[in-house]
Amino acid sequence: MTTALTLTSGQQPDGTPVLTATGEVDMSNAADFGAALTRAVEAAPGRLTVDLTALEYLDSAGLAVLFPHVDRIHLVASPLLAPVLTIAGLADLMTVTEV
Amino acid sequence: MSSAEQRPLSSADVFAGDGEIGSDLTKVDWASTPLGEPTGWPQSLRTAVDILLSSRFPMWMAWGPELTFFCNAAYRRDTLGRKYPWALGRPAREVWAEIWPDIGPRIDRVLGTGVATWDAALLLFLERSGYREESYHTFSYSPLRDDDNALVGMLCVVSEDTERVVGERRMATLRDLGSDPSVVRTEDETLAFVTRQLGRNDLDLPFTAIYLLAGDGSAHLAAAAGIPAGHSAALGTIPADEPTPVWPVAALARGESVLVPLDGAAFVGLPTGAWSQPPTQALLVPLLQQGGAPYGFMVAGLNRYRPLDGGYRGFVELAAGHVAAGIASARSYQAQQQRAEELAELDRAKTAFFSNISHEFRTPLTLIMGPLAELRSRLGDTDEGVREELQVMHRNGLRLGKLVNTLLDFSRIEAGRMQARYEPVDLAAVTADLASVFRSAVERAGLTFEVDCPALAEPVYVDRGMWEKIILNLLSNALKFTFDGTIRVRLRAEEGRAVVTVADTGIGVPAEEMPRLFERFHRIENVRSRSNEGSGIGLALVKELVELQGGDLTADSTLAVGTTFTIALPFGSAHLPPGTVARPRDRDPFATAEPFVEEVLRWLPPEAPTDAEPSVSLDAEVARSVPAPTTAVSANPAHILVADDNADMREYLTRLLRAAGHRVEAVDDGQAALQAARVAQPDLVVSDVMMPRLDGLQLVAALRAEPRTAGTPVLLLSARAGQEDSIEGLEAGADDYLVKPFAAAELLARVRTNVKLARLRNHHARWRTALVDSLQEAFFVCDEEGTVVEINPTFTDILGYGPDGLPYAPVHPWWPSRETEPEAHQQVADALTLLVGHPSGTYTIPVTHRDGHRLWVAAAFNQVQDPDTGRRVIVGTFRDVTAEHYAVQRESALAALSIRLSRADDLTDALHGVLEELQGLWRATRVLAVVFDGSPTPTVATTDPHQRWDTLTEQRRRTLTDLRDRPLLTTVADQTTGVGIAVEHPRGTMALWIDLGERRPVTEQDETLLALLAGHLGQGLHRVQQIDQQRETALALQRAILGPSQLPRDFAVRYAPATRPLKVGGDWYDTIALVDGQIGIVVGDCVGHGLQAATVMGQLRSACRALLLQDSSPSRTLTALDRFAAQVPGALCATVFCAVLDPATGELRYASAGHPPAIVTAPDGTTRLLDQGHSRPLGVRGRDERPEVEEFLPARAILMLYTDGLVERRRKPLTAGIDQVVTVLQHGRDQPIEALATEVMHQLTPSGGYDDDVAVLLYRHPGPLELDFAAESAGLAPVRTALRGWLNRCGLDPTDAYNVLVAAGEACANAIEHGHRDSPGGRIRLRATATADGLHLSVTDSGRWKTPQPGEDTHRGRGLVLMRALMDSITVTSGATGTTIDMQARIP
Repeated sequence: MTTALTLTSGQQPDGTPVLTATGEVDMSNAADFGAALTRAVEAAPGRLTVDLTALEYLDSAGLAVLFPHVDRIHLVASPLLAPVLTIAGLADLMTVTEV
Repeated sequence: MSSAEQRPLSSADVFAGDGEIGSDLTKVDWASTPLGEPTGWPQSLRTAVDILLSSRFPMWMAWGPELTFFCNAAYRRDTLGRKYPWALGRPAREVWAEIWPDIGPRIDRVLGTGVATWDAALLLFLERSGYREESYHTFSYSPLRDDDNALVGMLCVVSEDTERVVGERRMATLRDLGSDPSVVRTEDETLAFVTRQLGRNDLDLPFTAIYLLAGDGSAHLAAAAGIPAGHSAALGTIPADEPTPVWPVAALARGESVLVPLDGAAFVGLPTGAWSQPPTQALLVPLLQQGGAPYGFMVAGLNRYRPLDGGYRGFVELAAGHVAAGIASARSYQAQQQRAEELAELDRAKTAFFSNISHEFRTPLTLIMGPLAELRSRLGDTDEGVREELQVMHRNGLRLGKLVNTLLDFSRIEAGRMQARYEPVDLAAVTADLASVFRSAVERAGLTFEVDCPALAEPVYVDRGMWEKIILNLLSNALKFTFDGTIRVRLRAEEGRAVVTVADTGIGVPAEEMPRLFERFHRIENVRSRSNEGSGIGLALVKELVELQGGDLTADSTLAVGTTFTIALPFGSAHLPPGTVARPRDRDPFATAEPFVEEVLRWLPPEAPTDAEPSVSLDAEVARSVPAPTTAVSANPAHILVADDNADMREYLTRLLRAAGHRVEAVDDGQAALQAARVAQPDLVVSDVMMPRLDGLQLVAALRAEPRTAGTPVLLLSARAGQEDSIEGLEAGADDYLVKPFAAAELLARVRTNVKLARLRNHHARWRTALVDSLQEAFFVCDEEGTVVEINPTFTDILGYGPDGLPYAPVHPWWPSRETEPEAHQQVADALTLLVGHPSGTYTIPVTHRDGHRLWVAAAFNQVQDPDTGRRVIVGTFRDVTAEHYAVQRESALAALSIRLSRADDLTDALHGVLEELQGLWRATRVLAVVFDGSPTPTVATTDPHQRWDTLTEQRRRTLTDLRDRPLLTTVADQTTGVGIAVEHPRGTMALWIDLGERRPVTEQDETLLALLAGHLGQGLHRVQQIDQQRETALALQRAILGPSQLPRDFAVRYAPATRPLKVGGDWYDTIALVDGQIGIVVGDCVGHGLQAATVMGQLRSACRALLLQDSSPSRTLTALDRFAAQVPGALCATVFCAVLDPATGELRYASAGHPPAIVTAPDGTTRLLDQGHSRPLGVRGRDERPEVEEFLPARAILMLYTDGLVERRRKPLTAGIDQVVTVLQHGRDQPIEALATEVMHQLTPSGGYDDDVAVLLYRHPGPLELDFAAESAGLAPVRTALRGWLNRCGLDPTDAYNVLVAAGEACANAIEHGHRDSPGGRIRLRATATADGLHLSVTDSGRWKTPQPGEDTHRGRGLVLMRALMDSITVTSGATGTTIDMQARIP
C-alpha cells in the first residue's frame, strides 16, 4: 500500500503556477512526489509555488526531493510542517510562507 | 700690572717650573688648543701651571673649555705611565677616556659648583701600561679660576693607593690562612678551611685549585675555590703518563713554580672571580714538604688587572706555604692518632695474651699437679728417690702456678679489671697469721723473726686476697735478701692510719737503685741473694696492690744494713670506691700462701729426713685429712654432671669421681650440660668456667633460671685464680669454686660436701618435682613472655616435646603452621595473649604433636608469684581433648547441615546451602557436587560460581567420575588436594569433592566427619526432594487461581500474601479483555487469609471474570456476584472494586463493593479518589441498586487499585495509609509504572512486613503502544496512523505530536533502509510509553545500523538530524542482533 498523496497542478489567482500536495510524503512515495515536482518546475515559466498546506506528513525523503529545486520553487506550508522545514534548512534557502 | 708688555715671554718661561716636563710642554702645539700660545695665557693659568710643575706631589690639571690636560713629573711617574707625553695639551676627556664615566661627573660638579671633591682609594681601571690595570687613587679635584675669578678649570692632587690597597687585601688573606683553625684536624678539614679562605679573596685569586700528588706521580684535585670541580681546568685526576697534562705536573713535582698562560681549549669558560673577565694566566706553585717531595701544588688563577710582580708572586707562594703547612700538620696529627691507636691495640693484645696464657697454663698445670698428687700419695712411701723427684715436680708446678698468677694480676691491673672486695678485717690478726706461715721458713734460715702486731682499735678495710699477696711478697723478698739478723713485722696505728712495716737486716738497696725499686721487671743485678730466680715483678705488684687498698708503700734502705718497707692504710672505708665494700666473709685462710712458702723453702738448705714434709704445706695437710682418692668410695654415691671442653680434664675428672663411686656423665660444653641437666637432673654439676658455646657462668645462670634445675648445685673449676673471679662465679649462683690447679682430694671433699648440702636443701624441691611428675595432666610453667620453662613427663607424652628442648619460647614448636593453618595459628596466638595477660583462665586450642598429628588440648592456668625471684610466672595444666573436640565438631556440623537442609526451598537451594556449610567447616578452597543424572554433562553445583563441568580439569573430572563408581559413602582422600565421597542424590549418584588446597593434610577425623555428613546429606536431599515436589504442586495450583498468568503490558501488579510459604491469599487482581477493546479491571479481597481464603478468592475471581465477559457493566457484575457469594461459604463480606476501561478514550466505569477507593493521579500531580460508586460488600443485603460511575482518565494519568492490606494500619485511620499512597504516586508519577509499583510496595511496607494480604494494580493511560510490522516502506502509513492516535490519547498538542511523528517516522525509515535493505522480510518493532512528563519511543530492527556517510544518502543523514532536533535525546544501540533507536521527548 502506498501512502496517500494527491498532487494537483494549478494556478494562483495571479496566474503563477502552483503544485498542491495533499496527504503524506514518505519514502514510499517520495519518488512520485519528486517526479511530479520536476515536471511542474520544468513546465513553470518562473518560480513554482508548492503548496504543502494540506500535507499531513513530510519526512526527510520528501525534503530530499525538494532540495534540487530550491531556486525554482516557493513553498507554502502549515505551521505543523514549519519546524521540520526549518531544521532541514529550507527556511534559509527559500521563502516559507505560513498560512 | 703685567710685565708681559715690557718683556715678551717665551713658552719656556711659562713651563720653567720643571725642566723635563717643561720641555715636553713646550713641544705641544698649543696654537691648535683652545688655550692658544702659552705666551698669550692669562696670569692665572700661568700661575697654576707653575704651581703644578714645581710641586713634588702628583698633580694634574685641566683648563679651558676642553679641559686641556697638564700634569707634573710626579703624576707622570706614578699614574700617567705610557700616556706621557701624548697626553699633554690634550682634552682631559681624551686622556682619561677609560675612566671618564667615573671622573667626568666629579669634574663637572667641581666646575659647576666650585666645591672641591674628595675620593679615597677609588678603584679606577687605567690603561697606562698597555693593559687595563686595577688601580686605586685618593684624590681631590679643586676648582681653578681665571683672572676674572670665573671657574675655568680644575686641579687634581692625587696619590695612588694601589700598592697599599692590594697589599692589605693580600695580607688579610694570608692572615686568615694563618689564623688558628683550632677545630681543623683532618686533611679534608684543613683543605676545606684553606679553600674557604682563598675563596674569600677572589680579587687576587679568581680561582684556586689544590692538587695532591700520589705516589705514582699522578695528581688529584683535593680542593678548589671559585671553580667547579670537573671544569677542564680542574680535572679530578691528572695521570702521570698524560702526554699533554692540563697542568705541568712533572715540573711542579720537582718543586718548581710555573706560570701558565690560560689560552688553550681547556681554559675556555674559566670563572672570572670578582672581575668581569677571566684570568689570562695562572701561577702554579708547589706545596713544599720539608725534606720531601711536594705534597702537591696549588693552581692560582691570576688577577688579569694586576701585573705578576714580586709582591703578587710572593703572595701566591706564601698562600701555598700556608696550605702546605696545613697539610703537614693534618698529616702529622693523623699519624699521631694512628700511633696512639696502635699502642692501645698493642696494650689490648698484651692483656688478652696474658689472660689467655694464664688459662692455657693453668689447665695443663692442673693436669700435672692432680695426677702428681695422686702419685705422691701412692708412691711416696715406696722409694725415697721417687718421692724426692715427685717433690721436685710438685714444687716447680707450684712455682709455675705462682708466676702465672702474678702475671695475671698485672694484666688485670693494667686492664683495670682487678676488682677489689674490701671488707673490714682485724689487720693485726690477719697480718700475724700470715707472718706465722713464714715463721718456720724464716727460722730454718737461721734468722730471727719478730712479729709485733698488737690489736688495733678499729678494723681496716682491705681485700684479703690482695693483702695476703702484699705481706707474702714482702716477707718472701725479705727472706731472699737477708742472710743473718732479723726479719721484723710490725703494726701500729699512726696519724689515723694503720702502718705495717716489714723490715730486714739484709743486704740493702744501693741508693741509686732506690728510685727504680718498684719498677716492673727491674732487677738489681749482681747482688747476693738466696736465689737467682725471680721476674722482678714482686715489689711492683706489691706497690700496685697497696695502692688498690688506698694505701702508700714506701721503702727505706741502707746498703749492708737493711731495708724497711712501710705500708700505710687509712682507717675506715671513705677512701674506697663506692660499692666495693662488702661484709666480712669466712674463707679459707691463706689460699695463696702455699706457693710462696714452697718457693721460699726451696731456697733454704734441706732439713733432716724426719721432718721432710714441710709443716706449712697446705696440700700435704689436705692430703692427710682425706682418704686417698683411689680408696675414697663415697658412702653416698651421686649423679654428677661434668662439663669441660678439655678432653684430658674431662677424663681426669670422670676417672677421679667414678673412682669415688659417683655416677658420672661428662659433656664438653655448657650447652650440652644444660640439656643434660634438663633431661636428668644431676646431684651436682662440676663445670669448667671457660668453655665454648655456653661458659660456666652462663651455665650457672641458665640452670638457676629454670625452676627444675634452679636447685642443682654447681661446682665451678677455673683457671683464673683471682679472688674476684671466684666471687663472680659465686655471685652467678655457683655453690662452690675451685681454682686450677687443685688437689684431687680437695675436689672430692668439696663434691661430697656439696652433694650432701644440696640433698638437704633440695629435699623440698625434689618432692615438688616428684609431685609434678606424677600428675596425670600435662603441667607447664611459663615466664611472663610465655616461654615454657618447665614441663612434666605427661606434657612430653601429649605433645612429644621433652625437657631437653627447654626453654620453649613463643612461637612454640607445637603451634599450627601460620602458612597452612592461619586460623588455628591465630587461635593459639590468642590463647597465648590470654595466658600472659590474665591472672587465670582456660582455653582449648589446636596444637601439633611433634610427629605432626593434630591434637586439641584444653588448658587451665593461674599466675603465681615466684617466691624466690618475685617474678610473675604462669603455671598451667592441660589435657588431650582431641576425641571430645571432634565429637563436638561432628555434632555441630550435623546440626548445621540439618538447618541448611530444612531451610531450603528446593534441591538446588539445599545443595548450595550444604556446599557452603561444608566449605566453612573445612575452610576449603572449594566444594564441588556433581550429580550424574544421566544427562550428557553431569550437573555441577559448586561454591565457585564460575565453575562448570567443562571448565574442570581433566584430572578432576576423572576423580569425580571415579567417585561415582565407588561404593556410596566411602571417602576417598588425596593428600595433595582434598577429599571426596559419593552420595545418593534423588536424580542420580552425586560425587562430592572438598578441595582443601595444597599442604593441608586430610586427617582421619576429616574422613570420618565427611562420611557422617554425607550420610545425612543423602537422606536430607531426598527429604527436600519430596517437599519440593509437594511445593511444585501447590505452586501450580496457586498460579492457576491467583490471576491472569499474562497481564496486558499496560498494567503493573504486585501481590504479597500474608501467609508463608503459601504464595496465595484472599486478595486478588484481574484484568479481562472485553469486547470493543475494553478491559475489565478487578481487585478484590476475601475475608481472612491463608488457604481457606484463597479457595474462596479463586471462585469469586472466576465468577467475576465470567460475569464481566457476559455483561460489561461493573454495577451489574457486582450485583450478580452478590448472588454468587451467597452460595459460597466464606465469600460473604468480600470487597471488590470492579471497573471497565476503554483504553482508546480513557473512559472508566466503575462500581465498588465496600472496597477502598481507587486512586487517579494526573500528570500535574492532581489526585482524585474514585469513591463515588461505593456501596456495601458482597453478599450483604441492601435495597439500593449498586451505583455505577463514569469517569475519564486524563492523558498520562495513573490509575491505582489496591486492597486494604496495603493501607490498613492498626490504630491509624485508613485515610492515613491512602494519603501515603497518594504521596508516593505524586512523587513517582514521572516513573514507568513497574518502577512505581515497586516504589509503592517499598514505601508502604510496615516495619514488620505486611500482616495482611496485599494486591496492587497500576495502570497508566494510555497504555504503551506496541507495533510490530514488516520492514517495508508501504507499512509506514498505518504505523503513523496508530502512532497519531496514541499521541492524541497522550494529550499532546498537534505540533508536538507532529514532531514526534516525524522523528518516529525517520527512525522507522532508517530501520527499513539500513536495517533491512540487504535482508528483506525483517520486522520492526515500535514501542511507545508515556510518563507524566515525557514520552519514550524505541524502534528496533534486526539489521545493522549504518552510520550515514557524508555525501551518500544525504536525506538519511538529514533524517538523523531531524530526529535529534525534534526529540530531547536519541540513543542508538547497535549490536549483532539488531539496532534500537531510543528517543525521549519531554512533555511541557
